[in-house]
Amino acid sequence: MTGGRGDPALLDRLVGDGLGWLDGARASFRLPPDVTTDADPNTTLKPLGELAELTELTRTAHPRREIRERADALFAFAWQETGEGELFAELIRGEPRATYPVELYGIFAQAGLRHAAVEELLVTTTGLRGWRVAREDHTRTLGVLNAERRIGLPRHAAADAEFAHTGLGLLPEPWTLDRKAAYGVTHDVFHLTDWGRARRRLPAAHAGYLRLWLPAWLECWLEEQLWDLVGELLAVTACLPDAPYDAAAWQRLAAAQTSDGAVPETGTATRSADPAETFLACYHSTLVTVFAGTLARIAATEAADGPAAAGRPPFESEAAP
Amino acid sequence: MIADAATGVALALRGEGDPYALSRTLRQGDALALAAIRVLGADALAPYALGHRAGPGGEDESVVREALAAYPPGVAASDVSVWSYRGLIEASHAFLNGGADGWPRPPEAGAGWIGTDPWPRLSHRASQLAALALPGLAPGLAEALAARTDDLSRGFVRAVRRQDWLQAAGLGRWLARLPEVPPTLGLDGGLAFVRQMSGGDARVALHVVAARRFHGRGW
Repeated sequence: MTGGRGDPALLDRLVGDGLGWLDGARASFRLPPDVTTDADPNTTLKPLGELAELTELTRTAHPRREIRERADALFAFAWQETGEGELFAELIRGEPRATYPVELYGIFAQAGLRHAAVEELLVTTTGLRGWRVAREDHTRTLGVLNAERRIGLPRHAAADAEFAHTGLGLLPEPWTLDRKAAYGVTHDVFHLTDWGRARRRLPAAHAGYLRLWLPAWLECWLEEQLWDLVGELLAVTACLPDAPYDAAAWQRLAAAQTSDGAVPETGTATRSADPAETFLACYHSTLVTVFAGTLARIAATEAADGPAAAGRPPFESEAAP
Repeated sequence: MIADAATGVALALRGEGDPYALSRTLRQGDALALAAIRVLGADALAPYALGHRAGPGGEDESVVREALAAYPPGVAASDVSVWSYRGLIEASHAFLNGGADGWPRPPEAGAGWIGTDPWPRLSHRASQLAALALPGLAPGLAEALAARTDDLSRGFVRAVRRQDWLQAAGLGRWLARLPEVPPTLGLDGGLAFVRQMSGGDARVALHVVAARRFHGRGW
Protein backbone atom coordinates (compact mmCIF):
# COMPACT_ATOMS: atom_id res chain seq x y z
CA MET A 1 0.00 0.00 0.00
CA THR A 2 1.42 3.35 -0.92
CA GLY A 3 0.48 6.89 -0.17
CA GLY A 4 -0.08 9.29 -3.00
CA ARG A 5 -2.22 9.99 -5.93
CA GLY A 6 -3.79 6.71 -6.76
CA ASP A 7 -5.02 5.95 -10.22
CA PRO A 8 -7.64 8.56 -11.17
CA ALA A 9 -8.39 6.97 -14.54
CA LEU A 10 -9.19 3.61 -12.97
CA LEU A 11 -11.23 5.21 -10.17
CA ASP A 12 -13.22 7.36 -12.58
CA ARG A 13 -13.99 4.41 -14.80
CA LEU A 14 -15.16 2.37 -11.79
CA VAL A 15 -17.37 5.18 -10.54
CA GLY A 16 -18.67 6.19 -13.95
CA ASP A 17 -19.51 2.65 -15.01
CA GLY A 18 -21.11 1.97 -11.63
CA LEU A 19 -23.32 5.05 -11.93
CA GLY A 20 -24.27 3.92 -15.43
CA TRP A 21 -25.47 0.57 -14.14
CA LEU A 22 -27.33 2.19 -11.24
CA ASP A 23 -29.03 4.57 -13.64
CA GLY A 24 -30.20 1.64 -15.71
CA ALA A 25 -31.53 -0.01 -12.56
CA ARG A 26 -33.87 2.83 -11.60
CA ALA A 27 -36.93 0.65 -12.10
CA SER A 28 -35.65 -1.71 -9.43
CA PHE A 29 -35.12 1.14 -6.97
CA ARG A 30 -38.70 2.38 -7.39
CA LEU A 31 -40.82 2.02 -4.28
CA PRO A 32 -43.96 -0.11 -4.56
CA PRO A 33 -47.34 1.31 -3.52
CA ASP A 34 -47.35 -0.82 -0.36
CA VAL A 35 -43.95 0.41 0.81
CA THR A 36 -45.27 1.66 4.15
CA THR A 37 -47.39 -1.40 4.85
CA ASP A 38 -46.63 -4.86 3.53
CA ALA A 39 -43.51 -4.52 1.38
CA ASP A 40 -40.22 -5.94 2.61
CA PRO A 41 -38.12 -2.94 3.65
CA ASN A 42 -34.94 -4.86 2.81
CA THR A 43 -35.84 -4.85 -0.86
CA THR A 44 -37.50 -1.44 -1.00
CA LEU A 45 -36.50 1.21 1.54
CA LYS A 46 -33.02 -0.13 2.13
CA PRO A 47 -31.88 -0.01 -1.50
CA LEU A 48 -33.40 3.42 -2.02
CA GLY A 49 -31.84 4.76 1.18
CA GLU A 50 -28.46 3.43 0.15
CA LEU A 51 -28.87 4.96 -3.29
CA ALA A 52 -29.34 8.33 -1.63
CA GLU A 53 -26.65 7.95 1.04
CA LEU A 54 -23.98 6.64 -1.30
CA THR A 55 -24.56 8.98 -4.23
CA GLU A 56 -24.80 12.15 -2.14
CA LEU A 57 -21.07 12.51 -1.62
CA THR A 58 -20.41 11.85 -5.29
CA ARG A 59 -22.93 14.47 -6.41
CA THR A 60 -21.39 17.14 -4.23
CA ALA A 61 -17.72 16.31 -3.97
CA HIS A 62 -16.46 14.31 -6.92
CA PRO A 63 -13.80 16.33 -8.76
CA ARG A 64 -15.33 15.61 -12.20
CA ARG A 65 -18.44 17.52 -13.14
CA GLU A 66 -20.01 14.92 -15.41
CA ILE A 67 -19.76 12.35 -12.63
CA ARG A 68 -21.28 14.77 -10.12
CA GLU A 69 -24.17 15.39 -12.51
CA ARG A 70 -24.92 11.71 -13.00
CA ALA A 71 -24.91 11.14 -9.24
CA ASP A 72 -27.06 14.21 -8.73
CA ALA A 73 -29.70 12.88 -11.10
CA LEU A 74 -29.87 9.61 -9.15
CA PHE A 75 -30.09 11.45 -5.85
CA ALA A 76 -32.93 13.59 -7.18
CA PHE A 77 -34.67 10.45 -8.40
CA ALA A 78 -34.44 8.98 -4.88
CA TRP A 79 -36.03 12.10 -3.38
CA GLN A 80 -38.82 11.92 -5.95
CA GLU A 81 -39.45 8.32 -4.95
CA THR A 82 -40.02 9.42 -1.36
CA GLY A 83 -42.74 11.77 -2.57
CA GLU A 84 -40.39 14.63 -1.75
CA GLY A 85 -40.33 13.50 1.86
CA GLU A 86 -43.99 12.62 2.32
CA LEU A 87 -42.95 8.97 2.70
CA PHE A 88 -41.09 9.78 5.92
CA ALA A 89 -44.13 11.39 7.51
CA GLU A 90 -46.06 8.20 6.84
CA LEU A 91 -43.29 5.99 8.17
CA ILE A 92 -42.91 8.03 11.35
CA ARG A 93 -46.64 8.00 11.99
CA GLY A 94 -46.60 4.23 11.55
CA GLU A 95 -43.54 3.59 13.73
CA PRO A 96 -42.78 6.63 15.88
CA ARG A 97 -40.01 4.84 17.80
CA ALA A 98 -38.23 3.46 14.75
CA THR A 99 -34.90 5.03 13.88
CA TYR A 100 -34.73 4.14 10.21
CA PRO A 101 -37.11 6.85 8.94
CA VAL A 102 -35.01 9.42 10.79
CA GLU A 103 -31.77 8.02 9.43
CA LEU A 104 -33.15 8.01 5.89
CA TYR A 105 -34.64 11.48 6.15
CA GLY A 106 -31.32 12.77 7.48
CA ILE A 107 -29.64 11.95 4.18
CA PHE A 108 -31.96 14.28 2.32
CA ALA A 109 -32.19 16.90 5.05
CA GLN A 110 -28.45 17.33 4.94
CA ALA A 111 -28.74 18.11 1.24
CA GLY A 112 -31.36 20.75 1.98
CA LEU A 113 -34.32 18.62 0.95
CA ARG A 114 -36.81 18.93 3.77
CA HIS A 115 -40.46 18.24 4.47
CA ALA A 116 -42.33 20.46 6.91
CA ALA A 117 -44.59 17.77 8.40
CA VAL A 118 -41.62 15.46 8.98
CA GLU A 119 -39.71 18.19 10.76
CA GLU A 120 -42.68 18.83 13.02
CA LEU A 121 -43.16 15.14 13.79
CA LEU A 122 -39.48 14.66 14.60
CA VAL A 123 -39.41 17.41 17.18
CA THR A 124 -41.98 15.42 19.11
CA THR A 125 -40.86 11.81 18.54
CA THR A 126 -37.15 12.41 19.08
CA GLY A 127 -37.81 14.61 22.09
CA LEU A 128 -39.39 11.79 24.09
CA ARG A 129 -37.55 9.93 26.84
CA GLY A 130 -38.40 6.77 24.98
CA TRP A 131 -36.21 7.93 22.09
CA ARG A 132 -33.18 7.65 24.34
CA VAL A 133 -33.69 3.99 25.22
CA ALA A 134 -30.60 2.09 24.13
CA ARG A 135 -30.66 0.79 20.57
CA GLU A 136 -29.39 -2.58 19.46
CA ASP A 137 -25.76 -1.57 19.31
CA HIS A 138 -23.47 1.42 19.64
CA THR A 139 -22.69 1.54 15.93
CA ARG A 140 -26.35 1.98 15.12
CA THR A 141 -26.65 4.66 17.77
CA LEU A 142 -23.79 6.53 16.11
CA GLY A 143 -25.82 6.41 12.91
CA VAL A 144 -28.86 7.85 14.67
CA LEU A 145 -26.74 10.59 16.25
CA ASN A 146 -25.36 11.49 12.83
CA ALA A 147 -28.90 11.70 11.46
CA GLU A 148 -29.91 13.97 14.33
CA ARG A 149 -26.95 16.20 13.58
CA ARG A 150 -27.80 16.29 9.88
CA ILE A 151 -31.40 17.25 10.58
CA GLY A 152 -30.48 19.76 13.27
CA LEU A 153 -32.17 17.92 16.15
CA PRO A 154 -30.69 17.86 19.64
CA ARG A 155 -28.49 14.79 19.91
CA HIS A 156 -29.87 12.25 22.32
CA ALA A 157 -26.48 10.96 23.51
CA ALA A 158 -22.80 11.93 23.38
CA ALA A 159 -21.17 10.68 20.17
CA ASP A 160 -17.74 10.36 21.78
CA ALA A 161 -19.06 8.14 24.55
CA GLU A 162 -20.95 5.96 22.08
CA PHE A 163 -17.95 5.68 19.80
CA ALA A 164 -15.77 4.57 22.70
CA HIS A 165 -17.88 1.41 23.04
CA THR A 166 -17.93 0.42 19.39
CA GLY A 167 -15.91 -2.24 17.62
CA LEU A 168 -13.55 0.46 16.43
CA GLY A 169 -13.62 2.65 19.52
CA LEU A 170 -12.33 -0.16 21.71
CA LEU A 171 -9.43 -0.93 19.35
CA PRO A 172 -10.02 -4.69 19.57
CA GLU A 173 -7.27 -7.15 18.73
CA PRO A 174 -7.30 -6.99 14.92
CA TRP A 175 -7.24 -10.78 14.55
CA THR A 176 -10.62 -11.08 16.28
CA LEU A 177 -12.44 -9.30 13.48
CA ASP A 178 -15.09 -11.45 11.85
CA ARG A 179 -17.31 -10.43 9.00
CA LYS A 180 -20.00 -8.85 11.15
CA ALA A 181 -17.44 -6.94 13.20
CA ALA A 182 -15.78 -5.75 9.98
CA TYR A 183 -19.04 -4.20 8.79
CA GLY A 184 -19.34 -2.66 12.25
CA VAL A 185 -15.90 -1.04 11.98
CA THR A 186 -16.60 0.40 8.55
CA HIS A 187 -19.86 1.89 9.76
CA ASP A 188 -18.26 3.28 12.90
CA VAL A 189 -16.02 5.26 10.56
CA PHE A 190 -18.85 6.25 8.22
CA HIS A 191 -21.11 7.49 10.99
CA LEU A 192 -18.36 9.22 12.94
CA THR A 193 -17.01 11.03 9.87
CA ASP A 194 -20.43 11.75 8.36
CA TRP A 195 -19.66 9.33 5.54
CA GLY A 196 -16.25 10.75 4.77
CA ARG A 197 -17.25 14.41 4.88
CA ALA A 198 -15.57 15.11 8.24
CA ARG A 199 -12.65 12.76 8.17
CA ARG A 200 -10.76 14.60 10.88
CA ARG A 201 -13.29 13.48 13.44
CA LEU A 202 -11.50 10.17 13.44
CA PRO A 203 -9.20 10.30 16.50
CA ALA A 204 -5.50 9.93 15.70
CA ALA A 205 -5.15 6.68 17.65
CA HIS A 206 -7.99 5.11 15.69
CA ALA A 207 -6.67 6.38 12.38
CA GLY A 208 -3.31 4.82 13.26
CA TYR A 209 -5.00 1.56 14.19
CA LEU A 210 -6.86 1.46 10.89
CA ARG A 211 -3.76 2.35 8.89
CA LEU A 212 -1.95 -0.56 10.49
CA TRP A 213 -4.64 -3.24 10.16
CA LEU A 214 -6.73 -2.34 7.11
CA PRO A 215 -4.25 -4.00 4.73
CA ALA A 216 -4.59 -7.29 6.60
CA TRP A 217 -8.37 -7.13 6.64
CA LEU A 218 -8.53 -6.12 3.00
CA GLU A 219 -6.41 -9.09 2.01
CA CYS A 220 -8.70 -11.46 3.93
CA TRP A 221 -11.83 -10.29 2.20
CA LEU A 222 -10.20 -9.91 -1.18
CA GLU A 223 -9.38 -13.60 -0.89
CA GLU A 224 -13.01 -14.29 -0.05
CA GLN A 225 -14.08 -12.02 -2.93
CA LEU A 226 -16.59 -10.28 -0.72
CA TRP A 227 -16.68 -7.18 -2.86
CA ASP A 228 -19.01 -5.00 -0.86
CA LEU A 229 -16.82 -5.37 2.22
CA VAL A 230 -13.72 -4.82 0.11
CA GLY A 231 -15.31 -1.60 -1.14
CA GLU A 232 -16.22 -0.50 2.37
CA LEU A 233 -12.69 -1.17 3.62
CA LEU A 234 -11.27 0.80 0.69
CA ALA A 235 -13.67 3.63 1.53
CA VAL A 236 -12.41 3.60 5.12
CA THR A 237 -8.83 3.59 3.86
CA ALA A 238 -9.62 6.70 1.84
CA CYS A 239 -10.88 8.42 5.01
CA LEU A 240 -7.46 8.24 6.67
CA PRO A 241 -5.16 11.26 6.83
CA ASP A 242 -2.78 11.17 3.84
CA ALA A 243 -4.88 8.30 2.64
CA PRO A 244 -2.85 5.33 1.45
CA TYR A 245 -3.76 3.95 -1.97
CA ASP A 246 -3.79 0.17 -2.27
CA ALA A 247 -3.31 -0.16 -6.01
CA ALA A 248 -3.54 -3.96 -6.04
CA ALA A 249 -6.80 -4.00 -4.09
CA TRP A 250 -8.38 -1.42 -6.40
CA GLN A 251 -7.30 -3.41 -9.44
CA ARG A 252 -8.87 -6.55 -8.03
CA LEU A 253 -12.11 -4.72 -7.26
CA ALA A 254 -12.08 -3.23 -10.76
CA ALA A 255 -11.62 -6.70 -12.21
CA ALA A 256 -14.77 -7.83 -10.37
CA GLN A 257 -16.84 -5.11 -12.06
CA THR A 258 -18.71 -6.44 -15.06
CA SER A 259 -18.72 -4.72 -18.43
CA ASP A 260 -22.09 -3.12 -17.70
CA GLY A 261 -20.77 -1.53 -14.51
CA ALA A 262 -22.29 -3.84 -11.90
CA VAL A 263 -20.20 -5.14 -9.03
CA PRO A 264 -21.44 -8.43 -7.60
CA GLU A 265 -21.75 -8.78 -3.86
CA THR A 266 -19.51 -11.81 -3.84
CA GLY A 267 -17.46 -13.96 -6.20
CA THR A 268 -17.79 -13.53 -9.90
CA ALA A 269 -20.90 -12.21 -11.52
CA THR A 270 -23.52 -14.79 -12.30
CA ARG A 271 -26.03 -13.25 -14.58
CA SER A 272 -29.52 -14.26 -13.67
CA ALA A 273 -32.32 -14.09 -16.20
CA ASP A 274 -34.35 -12.48 -13.45
CA PRO A 275 -33.48 -8.75 -13.29
CA ALA A 276 -34.75 -8.53 -9.70
CA GLU A 277 -32.27 -11.18 -8.66
CA THR A 278 -29.41 -9.48 -10.47
CA PHE A 279 -30.38 -6.20 -8.87
CA LEU A 280 -30.35 -7.61 -5.35
CA ALA A 281 -27.03 -9.35 -5.98
CA CYS A 282 -25.33 -6.22 -7.27
CA TYR A 283 -26.90 -2.96 -6.16
CA HIS A 284 -25.17 -2.71 -2.78
CA SER A 285 -21.66 -3.52 -3.98
CA THR A 286 -22.05 -1.22 -6.94
CA LEU A 287 -23.13 1.67 -4.72
CA VAL A 288 -20.29 1.00 -2.30
CA THR A 289 -17.83 0.96 -5.20
CA VAL A 290 -19.10 4.34 -6.41
CA PHE A 291 -18.82 5.75 -2.90
CA ALA A 292 -15.35 4.30 -2.21
CA GLY A 293 -14.09 5.36 -5.64
CA THR A 294 -15.29 8.88 -4.95
CA LEU A 295 -13.52 9.03 -1.58
CA ALA A 296 -10.31 7.65 -3.05
CA ARG A 297 -10.53 10.10 -5.93
CA ILE A 298 -10.95 13.00 -3.51
CA ALA A 299 -7.95 11.75 -1.53
CA ALA A 300 -5.92 11.45 -4.74
CA THR A 301 -6.84 14.98 -5.78
CA GLU A 302 -5.93 16.33 -2.38
CA ALA A 303 -2.60 14.54 -2.51
CA ALA A 304 -1.92 16.13 -5.89
CA ASP A 305 -3.30 19.62 -5.41
CA GLY A 306 -3.97 20.17 -1.72
CA PRO A 307 -7.33 20.00 0.06
CA ALA A 308 -8.84 23.07 -1.55
CA ALA A 309 -8.99 21.39 -4.95
CA ALA A 310 -11.23 18.51 -3.91
CA GLY A 311 -14.95 18.83 -3.86
CA ARG A 312 -17.16 21.80 -4.32
CA PRO A 313 -18.17 22.42 -0.73
CA PRO A 314 -15.01 22.34 1.34
CA PHE A 315 -14.83 19.44 3.71
CA GLU A 316 -15.34 20.09 7.35
CA SER A 317 -11.92 20.23 8.84
CA GLU A 318 -12.42 20.63 12.54
CA ALA A 319 -12.42 17.83 15.04
CA ALA A 320 -15.62 18.42 16.97
CA PRO A 321 -18.45 16.21 15.78
CA MET B 1 7.26 -38.61 14.61
CA ILE B 2 7.59 -34.88 14.00
CA ALA B 3 4.66 -34.25 16.32
CA ASP B 4 6.17 -36.49 19.01
CA ALA B 5 9.51 -34.77 18.72
CA ALA B 6 7.86 -31.34 18.85
CA THR B 7 5.90 -32.40 21.91
CA GLY B 8 9.13 -33.55 23.57
CA VAL B 9 10.78 -30.18 22.87
CA ALA B 10 7.74 -28.27 24.13
CA LEU B 11 7.62 -30.35 27.33
CA ALA B 12 11.28 -29.68 27.94
CA LEU B 13 10.81 -25.96 27.38
CA ARG B 14 8.00 -25.99 29.91
CA GLY B 15 10.32 -27.71 32.34
CA GLU B 16 8.22 -30.86 32.43
CA GLY B 17 9.16 -34.47 31.89
CA ASP B 18 12.63 -35.99 32.01
CA PRO B 19 15.70 -33.90 31.22
CA TYR B 20 15.78 -33.44 27.47
CA ALA B 21 17.95 -35.54 25.24
CA LEU B 22 17.34 -35.23 21.52
CA SER B 23 18.85 -38.64 20.84
CA ARG B 24 16.32 -40.29 23.13
CA THR B 25 13.41 -39.32 20.86
CA LEU B 26 15.17 -39.16 17.54
CA ARG B 27 17.71 -41.88 17.16
CA GLN B 28 20.69 -42.30 14.91
CA GLY B 29 20.25 -44.48 11.89
CA ASP B 30 16.50 -43.89 11.67
CA ALA B 31 15.71 -42.13 8.41
CA LEU B 32 12.43 -40.75 9.70
CA ALA B 33 14.14 -39.38 12.79
CA LEU B 34 16.71 -37.63 10.65
CA ALA B 35 13.96 -36.12 8.52
CA ALA B 36 12.17 -34.96 11.67
CA ILE B 37 15.34 -33.19 12.83
CA ARG B 38 15.63 -31.51 9.45
CA VAL B 39 12.00 -30.37 9.69
CA LEU B 40 12.30 -29.10 13.26
CA GLY B 41 15.61 -27.46 12.38
CA ALA B 42 17.12 -25.46 15.22
CA ASP B 43 14.15 -26.38 17.41
CA ALA B 44 15.48 -29.91 17.76
CA LEU B 45 18.08 -28.32 20.04
CA ALA B 46 15.87 -25.63 21.58
CA PRO B 47 15.90 -27.07 25.12
CA TYR B 48 19.67 -26.74 25.21
CA ALA B 49 19.26 -23.01 24.67
CA LEU B 50 17.95 -22.87 28.24
CA GLY B 51 21.48 -23.41 29.47
CA HIS B 52 21.70 -27.14 29.97
CA ARG B 53 23.96 -27.68 27.03
CA ALA B 54 24.83 -31.10 25.76
CA GLY B 55 28.45 -32.09 26.03
CA PRO B 56 30.62 -32.52 22.96
CA GLY B 57 30.78 -35.76 21.10
CA GLY B 58 27.60 -37.20 22.58
CA GLU B 59 24.80 -39.01 20.81
CA ASP B 60 22.92 -35.77 20.27
CA GLU B 61 25.81 -34.37 18.31
CA SER B 62 26.06 -37.53 16.24
CA VAL B 63 22.40 -37.59 15.33
CA VAL B 64 22.45 -33.92 14.33
CA ARG B 65 25.56 -34.46 12.22
CA GLU B 66 23.82 -37.38 10.58
CA ALA B 67 20.72 -35.30 9.82
CA LEU B 68 22.83 -32.48 8.36
CA ALA B 69 24.68 -34.97 6.18
CA ALA B 70 21.49 -36.70 5.06
CA TYR B 71 19.54 -33.62 4.04
CA PRO B 72 21.82 -30.89 2.72
CA PRO B 73 20.00 -28.26 0.68
CA GLY B 74 20.43 -28.95 -3.01
CA VAL B 75 21.50 -26.39 -5.57
CA ALA B 76 17.88 -25.55 -6.31
CA ALA B 77 16.84 -25.42 -2.67
CA SER B 78 14.52 -22.60 -1.64
CA ASP B 79 15.82 -19.79 0.52
CA VAL B 80 13.64 -21.11 3.35
CA SER B 81 15.23 -24.53 3.11
CA VAL B 82 18.74 -23.06 3.15
CA TRP B 83 17.92 -20.82 6.10
CA SER B 84 16.45 -23.71 8.03
CA TYR B 85 19.55 -25.84 7.39
CA ARG B 86 21.73 -22.96 8.38
CA GLY B 87 19.68 -22.56 11.55
CA LEU B 88 20.37 -26.13 12.57
CA ILE B 89 24.11 -25.59 12.08
CA GLU B 90 24.01 -22.33 14.03
CA ALA B 91 22.09 -24.02 16.84
CA SER B 92 24.63 -26.85 16.89
CA HIS B 93 27.47 -24.34 17.30
CA ALA B 94 25.61 -22.44 19.94
CA PHE B 95 24.02 -25.17 22.01
CA LEU B 96 26.05 -28.36 21.62
CA ASN B 97 29.29 -27.06 23.10
CA GLY B 98 31.15 -28.69 20.27
CA GLY B 99 32.36 -25.41 18.93
CA ALA B 100 32.52 -24.70 15.23
CA ASP B 101 34.92 -27.44 14.37
CA GLY B 102 33.96 -30.21 12.07
CA TRP B 103 30.46 -28.97 11.28
CA PRO B 104 29.36 -28.21 7.75
CA ARG B 105 30.00 -24.62 6.82
CA PRO B 106 26.76 -22.61 7.19
CA PRO B 107 25.58 -22.00 3.63
CA GLU B 108 24.85 -18.49 2.47
CA ALA B 109 21.09 -18.04 2.54
CA GLY B 110 19.34 -15.56 0.29
CA ALA B 111 17.84 -12.62 2.17
CA GLY B 112 16.62 -10.36 -0.62
CA TRP B 113 13.04 -11.55 -0.16
CA ILE B 114 12.89 -10.09 3.33
CA GLY B 115 13.01 -6.61 1.90
CA THR B 116 10.97 -7.19 -1.22
CA ASP B 117 8.27 -9.81 -0.59
CA PRO B 118 4.72 -8.51 -0.26
CA TRP B 119 3.68 -9.03 3.35
CA PRO B 120 1.52 -12.16 2.85
CA ARG B 121 4.42 -14.01 1.22
CA LEU B 122 6.97 -12.61 3.64
CA SER B 123 4.80 -13.79 6.52
CA HIS B 124 4.48 -17.27 5.10
CA ARG B 125 8.24 -17.62 4.71
CA ALA B 126 9.09 -16.08 8.08
CA SER B 127 6.69 -18.42 9.85
CA GLN B 128 8.47 -21.39 8.26
CA LEU B 129 11.68 -20.11 9.83
CA ALA B 130 10.26 -19.61 13.31
CA ALA B 131 12.85 -21.98 14.83
CA LEU B 132 15.47 -19.34 14.00
CA ALA B 133 13.76 -17.03 16.45
CA LEU B 134 15.67 -18.84 19.20
CA PRO B 135 17.77 -16.35 21.14
CA GLY B 136 21.02 -15.41 19.48
CA LEU B 137 20.44 -17.31 16.25
CA ALA B 138 20.41 -15.61 12.86
CA PRO B 139 20.92 -12.05 14.11
CA GLY B 140 20.99 -10.70 10.57
CA LEU B 141 17.68 -12.35 9.74
CA ALA B 142 16.12 -11.02 12.93
CA GLU B 143 17.34 -7.53 12.17
CA ALA B 144 15.96 -7.61 8.64
CA LEU B 145 12.62 -8.94 9.86
CA ALA B 146 12.48 -6.26 12.56
CA ALA B 147 12.30 -3.68 9.77
CA ARG B 148 9.06 -5.37 8.70
CA THR B 149 7.45 -5.85 12.08
CA ASP B 150 4.20 -4.21 11.00
CA ASP B 151 3.98 -6.46 7.97
CA LEU B 152 4.60 -9.59 10.02
CA SER B 153 1.92 -8.40 12.44
CA ARG B 154 -0.47 -8.13 9.50
CA GLY B 155 0.52 -11.64 8.56
CA PHE B 156 -0.37 -12.80 12.07
CA VAL B 157 -3.81 -11.20 11.71
CA ARG B 158 -4.39 -12.86 8.36
CA ALA B 159 -3.17 -16.25 9.58
CA VAL B 160 -5.51 -16.21 12.58
CA ARG B 161 -8.39 -15.12 10.40
CA ARG B 162 -7.65 -18.05 8.07
CA GLN B 163 -7.25 -20.40 11.03
CA ASP B 164 -3.77 -21.21 9.80
CA TRP B 165 -2.61 -21.83 13.36
CA LEU B 166 0.88 -23.04 12.46
CA GLN B 167 1.64 -19.92 10.45
CA ALA B 168 0.13 -17.73 13.15
CA ALA B 169 2.18 -19.42 15.87
CA GLY B 170 5.40 -19.11 13.87
CA LEU B 171 4.78 -15.43 13.22
CA GLY B 172 3.78 -14.85 16.82
CA ARG B 173 7.05 -16.40 17.89
CA TRP B 174 9.07 -14.07 15.66
CA LEU B 175 7.06 -11.11 16.87
CA ALA B 176 7.84 -12.13 20.43
CA ARG B 177 11.54 -11.72 19.61
CA LEU B 178 11.17 -8.42 17.73
CA PRO B 179 11.35 -5.24 19.76
CA GLU B 180 8.55 -3.06 18.43
CA VAL B 181 5.41 -5.08 17.97
CA PRO B 182 2.36 -2.81 17.64
CA PRO B 183 0.59 -2.81 21.01
CA THR B 184 -2.85 -3.01 19.40
CA LEU B 185 -1.96 -6.41 17.93
CA GLY B 186 -2.49 -7.98 21.35
CA LEU B 187 0.35 -10.45 20.88
CA ASP B 188 0.17 -12.06 24.32
CA GLY B 189 -3.50 -12.87 24.07
CA GLY B 190 -2.99 -13.80 20.44
CA LEU B 191 -0.41 -16.46 21.24
CA ALA B 192 -2.66 -18.00 23.89
CA PHE B 193 -5.61 -17.85 21.49
CA VAL B 194 -3.67 -19.60 18.74
CA ARG B 195 -2.50 -22.36 21.09
CA GLN B 196 -6.00 -22.98 22.41
CA MET B 197 -7.75 -22.81 19.04
CA SER B 198 -5.29 -25.13 17.34
CA GLY B 199 -6.65 -28.10 19.26
CA GLY B 200 -3.34 -29.28 20.61
CA ASP B 201 -1.22 -29.22 17.44
CA ALA B 202 2.26 -30.10 18.68
CA ARG B 203 4.21 -27.74 16.43
CA VAL B 204 1.87 -24.85 17.25
CA ALA B 205 2.35 -25.58 20.94
CA LEU B 206 6.11 -25.64 20.48
CA HIS B 207 6.16 -22.16 18.90
CA VAL B 208 3.91 -20.73 21.58
CA VAL B 209 5.86 -22.21 24.48
CA ALA B 210 9.12 -21.00 22.91
CA ALA B 211 7.72 -17.47 22.64
CA ARG B 212 6.84 -17.67 26.32
CA ARG B 213 10.04 -19.32 27.54
CA PHE B 214 12.58 -17.31 25.58
CA HIS B 215 10.88 -13.97 25.09
CA GLY B 216 8.30 -13.78 27.87
CA ARG B 217 5.34 -13.25 25.54
CA GLY B 218 1.98 -14.98 25.59
CA TRP B 219 0.53 -17.26 28.22
